[in-house]
Amino acid sequence: MSAVMNRNTQPSKYGATRGAIQIKNVDKIYDPEGAAVKAVDNCTLDIPAGEICMVVGPSGCGKTTLLNAIAGFHSITSGEITLDGELLCGPGKPQAEPGSDRVVVFQNGALFPWKTNLENVAFGPIVQGKMSKKEAYEKARSLMADAGLGRSERNYPGEISSGVRRRVEIVRALMNDPAVLLLDEPYRALDSLTKSVMHESLLETYYKNKVTIFFITHDLEEAIFLGHRVVIMTSRPCRPKKILEVDIPHPRDYNALTSTRFRELMDETMDAVHEEAVKAFEAGEKEG
Amino acid sequence: MSAQVMTHQMPGPGRLRKMMTNQRFYRAITGILVFIILWEVGARSEQWAGFAFPWIGLVPPPTAVLGAWSTVFVESSYWMSWLQSFGRVLAGFTAAVLLGVPLGLAMAVSRTFNGLAFPTFEVLRPIPPLAWVPAAIIFWPTQEMAIAFVTFLGAFYTIVINVVGGAKSIDIRYFQAAQSMGSNGADIFRRIILPGVMPSIFLGAAVGMGITWEVVVAAEMISGGGSQIGGTAGGGLGFFIWNSYLGGSYELIVVGMISIGIAGYLCSSTIRKTGTWATPWKRLR
Amino acid sequence: MTTDNSKTGVGQGLDQAAKAALLRETMPFKTVPDATLRRIADLAKEETLPAGTRLYNEGDRADDLFVIASGKIEHALGPEAEASKLVKMVKRGDVIGWAALLSTKQRRLATTVAEADTQILRINAQKLRDLFQNDQQTGDMVMSRFATMIKEDYTLPDWLAKTRSIGEGTVARSEAEVPVSESRLALLGYRLGLWVKSPKPYLMITGFTAVLLFWHFSVDVFEWPRFRNMPGLVEVITEWLSRDPIYGLSVWTPEYYTHIIVSIRRVFIAFLLATALGVTLGLFMGWSKGVREFVFPVFETLRPVPILAWVPLAIIIFFHPESTVIFLTFLASFYATALNTMLGVDSIDESYSRAASCLGANKWQVFRHVIVPGALPFIFTGLQISVGVAWFSLVAAEMVSGEFGLGFVINTSYTMVKYPTIVIGMITLGAVGYTTSAMVRMLGDHLMQWRVRELAMGGR
Repeated sequence: MSAVMNRNTQPSKYGATRGAIQIKNVDKIYDPEGAAVKAVDNCTLDIPAGEICMVVGPSGCGKTTLLNAIAGFHSITSGEITLDGELLCGPGKPQAEPGSDRVVVFQNGALFPWKTNLENVAFGPIVQGKMSKKEAYEKARSLMADAGLGRSERNYPGEISSGVRRRVEIVRALMNDPAVLLLDEPYRALDSLTKSVMHESLLETYYKNKVTIFFITHDLEEAIFLGHRVVIMTSRPCRPKKILEVDIPHPRDYNALTSTRFRELMDETMDAVHEEAVKAFEAGEKEG
Repeated sequence: MSAQVMTHQMPGPGRLRKMMTNQRFYRAITGILVFIILWEVGARSEQWAGFAFPWIGLVPPPTAVLGAWSTVFVESSYWMSWLQSFGRVLAGFTAAVLLGVPLGLAMAVSRTFNGLAFPTFEVLRPIPPLAWVPAAIIFWPTQEMAIAFVTFLGAFYTIVINVVGGAKSIDIRYFQAAQSMGSNGADIFRRIILPGVMPSIFLGAAVGMGITWEVVVAAEMISGGGSQIGGTAGGGLGFFIWNSYLGGSYELIVVGMISIGIAGYLCSSTIRKTGTWATPWKRLR
Repeated sequence: MTTDNSKTGVGQGLDQAAKAALLRETMPFKTVPDATLRRIADLAKEETLPAGTRLYNEGDRADDLFVIASGKIEHALGPEAEASKLVKMVKRGDVIGWAALLSTKQRRLATTVAEADTQILRINAQKLRDLFQNDQQTGDMVMSRFATMIKEDYTLPDWLAKTRSIGEGTVARSEAEVPVSESRLALLGYRLGLWVKSPKPYLMITGFTAVLLFWHFSVDVFEWPRFRNMPGLVEVITEWLSRDPIYGLSVWTPEYYTHIIVSIRRVFIAFLLATALGVTLGLFMGWSKGVREFVFPVFETLRPVPILAWVPLAIIIFFHPESTVIFLTFLASFYATALNTMLGVDSIDESYSRAASCLGANKWQVFRHVIVPGALPFIFTGLQISVGVAWFSLVAAEMVSGEFGLGFVINTSYTMVKYPTIVIGMITLGAVGYTTSAMVRMLGDHLMQWRVRELAMGGR
């Protein structure tokens, strides 16, 4: 990681020095000898350090495959992915190593239910041997207090609301000082009121730690509200169809949702998203 | 309670070709072969190396077992044992299903009946079925009925518990939906409760079938093998094993064990097959 | 948040309507009918606490509960609540001091200090209980809303979480910490009260009586054919409790306990062995694809052979009856434990392992922090089944080849025509078997606090 720092000390336009992801001509084919399902097709995407990049597409279009490739849970068939110029996966190295520079927040949440929230947050540095248990708990405590989660420290994840769980999970990710946060529809199961609280809290977190955010969702409103850019994907196989620059200035709050610019951006992208959704739906009907 | 999950899946004809090219298949074969070879070597160690492995050295080797099997394979008495054991299992199991399913449903449907019968049921349940063997022999006029009764007990508890548990786990929204569409009590019972408990009935039956075989074997050994009982109800695979033991033909013991294993497996997989057939909505997943 | 309420004047007193309106704002009393609410308001005495006043200390006797009218109070739960960090501010509409409601001899669970000048309503818990005595429906509702409030607002205290299992027939454990067990007793009392009011216990007693009467009448009174051969109820009980038993075995004879201990010892050894080996094998079969693909087929090939079909072979292999019995008991437990452990590992959501690995855990750390704790619930389900089948096969093994033990008692009593002793053996076996399963379940609850609490949150 230090090598990366040396190479790229110039802060990006978002004021971050690390976390730039380059995805070049990535293909992913499942079961190449058998059914040969193409999930990702020649996908190229350049994400500057510190950007909130929202990836929108119909369910099952292959967005998660892309995220899993970056995280190192899946291999890619061809193409390459780099982080700050360093090869994550590509020719000769089909699958990236999972690492704490790219922490994933999962769709249904993956706080370990058998550890208290505090133990969950402190988990990363302890298993990596980067901190002693005491140091890790101290840091975890202060991070949780900063995020207003102090009173849930000793609870188990099963005892707190799903909204609070998501926030704890993000704190757990930030505890590792990652370059990239990979969010896989983290707020999917939440109701829309809780969701808007989550959005503001995520932005607040982002303003404090300029970390690159790769955020998968199928909720267009969420995408425009949070993102610097919104990448709309085609339905399976997945490939960027349209990239939208969101020119609503940061910091944003919920008032942005009612602004005219927000509505205009929604209108501008709705057609593209809807078209893909219809395609995906029809494809699904045939398969089922 | 019913957390014993059955994981067997017989390959269908379409899947067979795919399985042949599958690494998993070869690994399974390798695993079993290694096991058999180790068994053979261990069992013959004294003969070959003049040194007996502890425990395994006393077991008859697989080749000898195979030889013994081929001799009894053509004898009608061996197949008679199969038939007798199957008959007992079938009698006890059928009785358990016929009594257990209605009883379980009654406990699930009526709160009063549940309050009345369930505690008694729970008090009796921890007594292992085999502990009933002597009492059953005293009570029932024939040995055959005593064995059938103990066999029945083995499957009965499991089936009842599964039916009650299955009925309790039916999503309350199904009842609400049915009521909102104007169903009466009989409709709800027939169209919601009955199909709702169907998977649990089959799960309970599959587990119960396993217990049934355990019990039959034991009952046949205890009653047929013990000196206390006359020959009226001898026979069966359990007795076959015990008799082979008494007669000192150790190979036949193993033949008997394998036979019971196959018989039990056939019964359980028949039930599971029937279960998949009877609950088509559970197949998707 | 709080608006300045000083216009009511310190000590000047709120009127009944104002008190009722305040109570209406609180969680527990929100839904109380108007008439009852006014009567509760009459019980409420208004007090003003200057900033810095200590309302009560943790451990104090708890007689009253308090509703905050204005100002704020710092509320710090004590260490017994296992939440020493849990400090919160309470303000208008909050209710504190609910410990007073749990029983007559209650102790405070928290320490509370007025942070600012604070106006409170003091409600005597005993009087409140008396009031609810006449209106049980409202009482039940308020109590259950209290329970919900406690669950939502506080870390669920351990003792409250543990008491959950009482409703399901688990025997309450005696606990060393007096205050905790006291409050648990209170809750147990409350539950017991509810249970006694329901038709359940009476139906249960009716059920038991019917079975026992049937036994007695069929055997001793009507002497029906077949039934008259059986030992009668009276005969069994007199024999069991006799100081000088006709057939040589009763609660007063030391042999009775020898048999019990021998059986328990065998089950214990077999269970320990089976747990050690079964959990290990199950974890590895679940965790490593290679291990599973080679070993599981062998496992599945052997499993259909009933345990009891192993009896003669086990006798040949082990000679010694004791090892034979233990081996057979072990084998049954081993299958159940290994299989359930493997299924437990299968049941773990893949995202937990992924989360751990992207937080930097290596393979072994994933195993230790994710696989083992994640499989624990299934492991314990497996252990419960395992104890059950252990007793099941122990009996058979003891009947065929034992020299002591309860199965042996049952079998020899039959051959020596000591019929009442058979029944004594059966009942003892059931009781001992049930106790051991309950112990395994309790151990599981103890080890898996996270699961107990999660279930407690999921509503009774």
